[in-house]
Amino acid sequence: MLVTSDQTAPLRSRNARMALPWVTTAARLVVAGVLIVAGWLKIGNPVLSVHAVEAYELLPGSVATAVGYGLPILEIVVGVLLVVGLLTRVAGIVAALLMLAFVIGIASAWARGLRIDCGCFGGGGQLASGQDPSYFWEIVRDAGIFLLAGWVVWFPPGRLALDSALGLAPEREPYDPEFEHDEVDDGGAEASQNKGSD
Amino acid sequence: MGGKATRESRARDRIRAQREADRKRHERRRIVTYALAAVVAVAAVAGGWLYAANQSQSETASGKVAPVTLQPDGSVVMAQPGVEKPVLDIYEDFQCPACKALEETSGTTVKNLAAEGQVKVVFHPITIFSAEPTKSNSVRAGAAARCVPSGQWLAYHDKLFAGQPSEAVEGFKLDELVAWGKEVGVTSPDFDKCVTSQEHAALQGDYTAKVLKQGVVRGTPTVILNGKELGDEAFSPSQLRKAVLDASK
Repeated sequence: MLVTSDQTAPLRSRNARMALPWVTTAARLVVAGVLIVAGWLKIGNPVLSVHAVEAYELLPGSVATAVGYGLPILEIVVGVLLVVGLLTRVAGIVAALLMLAFVIGIASAWARGLRIDCGCFGGGGQLASGQDPSYFWEIVRDAGIFLLAGWVVWFPPGRLALDSALGLAPEREPYDPEFEHDEVDDGGAEASQNKGSD
Repeated sequence: MGGKATRESRARDRIRAQREADRKRHERRRIVTYALAAVVAVAAVAGGWLYAANQSQSETASGKVAPVTLQPDGSVVMAQPGVEKPVLDIYEDFQCPACKALEETSGTTVKNLAAEGQVKVVFHPITIFSAEPTKSNSVRAGAAARCVPSGQWLAYHDKLFAGQPSEAVEGFKLDELVAWGKEVGVTSPDFDKCVTSQEHAALQGDYTAKVLKQGVVRGTPTVILNGKELGDEAFSPSQLRKAVLDASK
């Protein structure tokens, strides 16, 4: 009943078909690695995490406090979701939004001439004497992670993802929609769901 | 499904219905799994959030404070008479935001523990910054604190942290430093001159150099309990209290 079209696929398209999910997996792991490290370094010290958020002077006091307490655990949970490939698209969206927020925050701090440690990797505010914040590279790094997270959102869930094992993957792997469409009859939804769980 | 339908069309309908049912069943299972995973993830975030908020909960001030004595070397001791150990060394810079965060979170715990006679607290106000404007801000504040008599020192110490300027601007201005002394009840006639002439600026620098030479302090705040540096637990009032009580056993 399940029609696989691998045999009839042109070679290049087939290679791309094989490679793209692995790119997503790699992107997931890089984004997750950054998030988990960043969260882990902050999670032991919520007070400094709050302080790091306050240092940006962008959020009102109580909101900054709430964000400071919640950010490290959020980063870790989203990171873990990306590692195992569960709720991949949602996790990717959250990761991308976080990176976007960081880029905006850092750029705004830079523009206002604030001299703060970004607090990205813990220890916010403990900018050692004479040490200058390297806003430019922080923005480049976070923008890069943002793009990778964007890839994950666009092409979820990649290989080795719980989403596939649990049948949560999107109905059709979206990177080559034409390809399956031709081959699969009106049972397409069911077919691709079966495929998702193999 | 009417009687007029042919057998073939009934069979097609049945297959279609079967497929539809399968599809719905799959969809339902998908939604349930998805929701379950989402709920677990959100619960983990909420749980972590609550734990973080709980860990950072400050104690309420008991209102009692242990006597403060200014040491000749520039450090300041807060302890009940006769309490010699455990010793809690706090190396701090009045301009350092993390020191302010420590003070706001664990300051009352430190005061309470000293008042209860559980610990001898030694404050070491130093200047960790080497760039401007933070360096001069820190020196002005540190030098001014050395003009304050022991009776008002702790209140002045708290006042300095409460009034900490941003790291990007010149702050701890001399007139502010004088005014805050008055607010906490300093009456000594020499106080104004001591602050405005920055009489103890050199001492602040010397003491900083001495502390940094010892090599135990790499940044501020550094909190050392009986010679052992405390990490994040210094920022968690409940963990700090436990560490101190364990050390006094």
